[in-house]
Order: sequence, then C-alpha cells, then structure tokens
Amino acid sequence: MIPRLRFETISKSFPGVNALTDVSFDVAPGEIHGLLGENGAGKSTLLRILSGVFRPTSGMVLIDGQGVAFKKPMDARGAGIAMIHQELQQVPHLSVAQNMFLGHSLTRMGGLFVSRRQQEARAAEALSMIDRSIDPAAPISSLKVAQRQIVEIGRALLDNARVVAMDEPTSSLTPTEFDRLAEVIASLSARGVSIIYVSHKMDEVFRICQRASVMRDGKLVGKVDLKTASEKDVIAMMVGRQLMQEEHNSFVTDTVKLEAKNLSSATKIRDVSFTLLKGEVLGIAGLVGSGRTELLRLLAGADRLSAGSIAIDGKAVRFATPREAIAAGIGLVPEERKREGIIPLRPVSTNMALASLSSFSAGGMISTGKLRATAQDLLKRVNLRPFQLDRPIRLFSGGNQQKAIIARWLAAKSQILLFDEPTRGIDVGAKSEIYHLIEDLAREGHSIIVVSSELPEIIRLSDRVLVVREGRVAACIPRDRLTESAIVAHAIPGANAGAADTRAAQTA
Amino acid sequence: MTSSSNAAESTPAFRRFSFSLRDAGTLIGLIVIMVVFAALVPEFLSERNLVNILQQSSINACLALGMTLVIISGGIDLSVGPTAAISAVITATLLLAGTPIPLAILAGLGVGIVCGFINGALVAYVGLQPFIVTLGTLSTYRAIALIYTGGNPVLGIPSGFRSLFNGNLFGIPTPVIIVAVVAIAAWILLKKTPIGEYLMAVGGNEEAAYVAGVPIARTKITAYVISGGLAALASLILIGRLGAAEPILGNLWELDAIAAAAIGGASLMGGKGSILGTILGAIILGAMRNGLTLMNVQAFYQLLATGLIILAAMIIDRATRGRG
Repeated sequence: MIPRLRFETISKSFPGVNALTDVSFDVAPGEIHGLLGENGAGKSTLLRILSGVFRPTSGMVLIDGQGVAFKKPMDARGAGIAMIHQELQQVPHLSVAQNMFLGHSLTRMGGLFVSRRQQEARAAEALSMIDRSIDPAAPISSLKVAQRQIVEIGRALLDNARVVAMDEPTSSLTPTEFDRLAEVIASLSARGVSIIYVSHKMDEVFRICQRASVMRDGKLVGKVDLKTASEKDVIAMMVGRQLMQEEHNSFVTDTVKLEAKNLSSATKIRDVSFTLLKGEVLGIAGLVGSGRTELLRLLAGADRLSAGSIAIDGKAVRFATPREAIAAGIGLVPEERKREGIIPLRPVSTNMALASLSSFSAGGMISTGKLRATAQDLLKRVNLRPFQLDRPIRLFSGGNQQKAIIARWLAAKSQILLFDEPTRGIDVGAKSEIYHLIEDLAREGHSIIVVSSELPEIIRLSDRVLVVREGRVAACIPRDRLTESAIVAHAIPGANAGAADTRAAQTA
Repeated sequence: MTSSSNAAESTPAFRRFSFSLRDAGTLIGLIVIMVVFAALVPEFLSERNLVNILQQSSINACLALGMTLVIISGGIDLSVGPTAAISAVITATLLLAGTPIPLAILAGLGVGIVCGFINGALVAYVGLQPFIVTLGTLSTYRAIALIYTGGNPVLGIPSGFRSLFNGNLFGIPTPVIIVAVVAIAAWILLKKTPIGEYLMAVGGNEEAAYVAGVPIARTKITAYVISGGLAALASLILIGRLGAAEPILGNLWELDAIAAAAIGGASLMGGKGSILGTILGAIILGAMRNGLTLMNVQAFYQLLATGLIILAAMIIDRATRGRG
C-alpha cells in the first residue's frame, strides 16, 4: 500500500545547527501516528516542513506517493495538509464559520460580498460530522478551548485534508474534553484522514495512536508499535537514558507555616481552610475550573479575599497586591508562563531579579555586580541551560524559563512557594529536574503548594493532597492513602464521597 | 568554573562599553544623512551649523525622552504639546507679575508634572487606554491654555529668564546642555534603577510584572509625570528663545516626539526603547530639516522627507529584527 504521507531522508539545517538529519518515516491512510520527543528534538521543525513554513535542505515529502515541494503554507493547505497548533490561530470576534473560511471566504456577486449564509451552511455540514453542538454563527470567543479545537478540525474537513497534524492539542483540556477529542480523532481516522499527533503526555499517545516515531536531537531514534511497547521504553528512547523511578521524599516538620481559615473570594473560592507546614509539599488537585488557580491567586495576593483570614508564622496577614504577599514571603510560579511569568525581551538575570530589585539596590540605583553575583549563584543552582545570563528569557525553552521563575523566588527569599502546573509544556527531562528542585526546596525548609492536573505528578510530589471541587475543599488525603482513584473520586462533582473514601482506603 | 560560565562572565564587560546593534543602526542612519547633506550643502558641516542642529533638535529631544519612557511602559502621551502650552503661559504670566525666576521655573515644571500625573492616574487607576486618555487631555489642556490667556500671547518675558534658556555656556547653547543632562539622567533611570527595570517589565508584560510584585500604577504614573515635566521644560526652552508664550504653542509636538522615539528603536507595543536611540532620532529629524532649509527646499518637501524618513526607519527596523 502506498503510504498517505512519507518523509524521505529529510534534513534541515539552519546556520550553525542541523535541526533535522535524515528523518524518514511513513504514515498510512487513516493512521493515527504519534510524534514524540523532548522540546528541541526537531518535531516542530518537521511539522513546519510538512506545513510549508520551511523547505527541507535535502530529502522529500511525499503525499500519496507524489513528491511535493511547498513554497508557502497555502501550498500545503491546498495539498490537503492541515495544521492544528497548540495555540489556536483564530480570530476571537469572528464567527465559527468565518474562522473556518478565513483566507478563502465564499463570495457572491463576483467576489464583492462574503456569502455568510453559504459559509455557515458549509461549516454546519462539516461540523455535523464531528460535533453537532457547535453553532457556526456563534463567535469563536464564546466557545471553550476544546470546542475551538474541534472547529479547527472541522476546518480541516472543509479543506478535504488528507493529513492533519496536531501539535500538543490537549495541553489545556480536561479529561472529559480529551475523551471527546479522542472520539473526533478516531472518526477522522475512520474517514481515511491520517493524523500526526504530537504530545508530551504518554498516556494520551498510548491511548490514541497506533504507532509512534520518536525523535531526539533532530534524528529519528525509533519507531514503536504502541500496542507492545511500554511507556518507560518510549521515555527512555526520548531522553536517551533510563529515567529513574522516582521515590517521594518527605521533609515535613510540625511547625505551622501558613494557616488559611474560611477563605472565600468573589471569584470562586468558598470557605476553604487548611494549614501548610514548614518543609511540606501540599498538593492541590481538582478539575480544571474547580478553583485551584483561584486559590493560589488568593494566597499570592493577586486576587482579593472576600472573607476569611490567612496567618503566616502565626501572624495575621492581608494582601491587596502580589507585592504585599511577596514581602510576606510568598511567591507564585504561575501556570501561564508566557502571560504571567516572563518579561520576554528582558535578560534572564533581570527576570530573576524582578521581584527583589530593591534588595539589589542602594540609594535608588541597582548594583549590577550584586545582581550578577546572585544571578550566577541561583541560576546555576536551578541548572539554567544555556547558562547565559544576558540572554533574553524568551529565547530559552519552557523548562529553563520555569527554572528562572523559580530562581526569582529564591532571590526574593520567599519561604512559601506556590506552583501552578509547574511542568506544563515542559519536556520529560526538565520535568524531573523541576521535581528535584521542588524537593530540594522542601528539604531546605520552604513550604510548598503544588497545583497540578497530572495525577502522577501530584502523587510524586505531595506529602498531602487537598482535593478542591467547585471552590470548596472536598477532601484532604494524607500521603499513606494517596492514590489516583482517591483523588478522582473526590474531584468529580456529584460523586459519592463516602463510597469513594472506602474505595480509596481499600486501594491504599 | 566551567567554560560556559566563563563565557557568561565575559558578556557583561562587552555590554557595558558598547551599545546595542539597534543604536548602531540609528547612528549609521544619522551619519548617512550627514554625509548626503555635507555633499549637497558645503556649509552644512560648519561648526556653527552643527551647533545649530543640536539647538534646533533640543526641544524635540527633550519631549522625546519623556515620550520614550512612556512608550517603554506600554503607553503613549499625545498631550505633550498642550501640556507645554499651559506650562508656558503660566510661567510667562508669573514672570510678568514679577515672580522670582527660580520660582516661576519651578511653577512651570510643577504644572507639567500635574498634567502628567492626571494622565498617569487616569491610565493607572481608572484603567483607561493611554491613547484615549491623552487624546482627551490633548484637547482639555489646550483649551485650558486658551481660556487662561483668552487666546492672546503673553509677551515681554524678562531677559534674565531668556538668557538662562537661550544663552551659551562655554560656547554651547544652554538648551543643548540642559537636554544632555536630562538625557544622561534618563539613561541612568532606565538602565540603572529599579524604576527603569519596572518600566520595561510593565511595558513588556504587565500581567507578569504584577505577579512578580512590580508596583504597576506607580510605575506608569512615574512615566507620565516625567513626560509632563519634560514637556514643561521644553516649553521653557521655547519661550526663552521666543520671548513670548503663545497658548497655541506646541501644536503637533507629540508627533515629532513619537517619531524620534520610534526612529530610535522604541516599540509602540511597549517594553522596548533606547535613550541614546531617541536622542539620535531627534538629531536625525533636526539635521534633515536643517539641511533641507539650507538647500532652500520648500516646506512641503520637508514634510514629505520627514514622513519618508520615519517609514524608511521602520522598514529597516522590521527587516533587521529578530537579530541582536
């Protein structure tokens, strides 16, 4: 059988770098093919060649046995290749149908007017194959991320795409939304559309894909049959070494560091109480939208309390701004690094120093020497790579940006660190570095709160887990009873918590 | 010490004594313009004319320095001209009433600072968009200046004041010296103080700056207050030169100031800008007008040249971005 898509010894070099070296693999019609690799392994470069953004230095892309040479993205689209990016490229104020026809609107009267009605009818037709609940006339901004992704898939159907490449499509989806997406992908595959699925999440790749190609350092290092391979093997292939099975280490003391009593906010939080000990890692689990992020924002002073009280070291505190929370020793490592974490154009060293500039200043002037000495020290400690202190932070990988943000709170001498999805969008190698860093911080006596959607992550890190549901604390699970099923049972609204408790106790 | 950390240590020394590639680009632009005019007009490069260019650029440079800080913070200040006008007519009125010169100067600067503070407070506390706020105060401040004077110029500014702002020190015009001092102060503010870092952080990513504890409102207000204060200073230079304060002075000043900042590398998206670049940008505009005037080119063509130079600068900027 002729493969739907074939990469034949694709190489791509940029000045000074070989981004891809002799990458070859096939994707059969209707196959869902995983593309795995750490950040920087060359997956994005390969996808950009497929979608016509880059031209390969050598080698060839074949579609249904025909060699193609795309000069621009529109050529690839015309040849039946659809790209669905991690960050959706849609115009929020335009309707679903308008977005689906963006760039090649259906017109009437010789191109003078856009035929809105015709567009909506065609969009509805395409969407009906995958999701009937989406109204083609609704503005994109009124849809959830998951639905917007389905609109992108609908657009691919509209273009009669033969290959759909999806780059980290699930990074912001809930488990239910992921199930829905998995169904849609399966129905595409049943229509004979081939799918290239890029993700960091092993369990998803194993569930959705039949085969996967694994890349490392711009080379193809393996083709795996996911029915027989194990997650561990695949990860080892990706990182080029065996990752150690990680043990949880606990450094909890019995000194209370922070006590929250009956916290409520205008946003979502209702009557939340908990204590955080010195040296403790407290996990906060719950569905997306359950109020986890809002709870962290309350503690970090980014949102206001409407009721309740917070005490640190036994002293009552009240924050109007993050600045006040920082002064009280609290630092937030936010979920959306690009939006809430980094100042993209500034060097990594000043990004690190941003929360503690006054401690590097005397008489209103920043002491460059002092700042650099601290940056040397702390950024080395978090193992920043490449170790270039003057490099703008936007040029670093997600994992290294995250390390710089963690160093920001070390520089500010924060005693309480709040991590919101600490490893989102970070590759496997850097992930384990972040885990060790969090552990080291606890060992040194920092108190830590980790919010995460990844249950293995939260179980790996936490001494205790607070499960949040609809803005309230649904359960507090101690380490010895900590299992994925215990967390899930409490996290889902309407679940019978009593029965779940028993179940959790039994599994433990 | 590993080799990578040695490499990291060697960078700052290089940084400290050189300037950015973008500034080098602006400087090359200036040199090209100077060379062209020097070839076309023999007297262009005379010492007297060069000093003239600096003097003619000084008012715009003064405004553009404040504008640069505002633009870096992610804002814009369209109200600098009318701010200058209010400051000018009030200072002039005080001088005519016999107020001691230092007091009148302080009052004039104070007026500019108040105007800037109002802009900043509306942006930072009320949360209005900077363009709209300063578009509103552009009209409001102009109206105040006109109402205050009944539309008439304030004539007869005392010579003591004039010699201060229109005199020479060691053969250099005082406005040039004043602006040079302001530029150095602005450079120190931007590069060496927490406020400068905060300006770049707020303009570069306001949400992240907030989470990192940057005092957002204070930072923004500081930028507008400096811009207002420098607009007032520019107006003092102008009325020192003219000997009169007109309520309509400073019309369209904001556009020249924005142009100088943009030519110098400031991004209207915020987070990026250069003091040295802005000064060079102001001198580029000044040198061009001066050269064209020496060549007796009609005013229409001068306007055309100004427009083209701005577009050319931005096109070159776009084409070379992403490197350095």
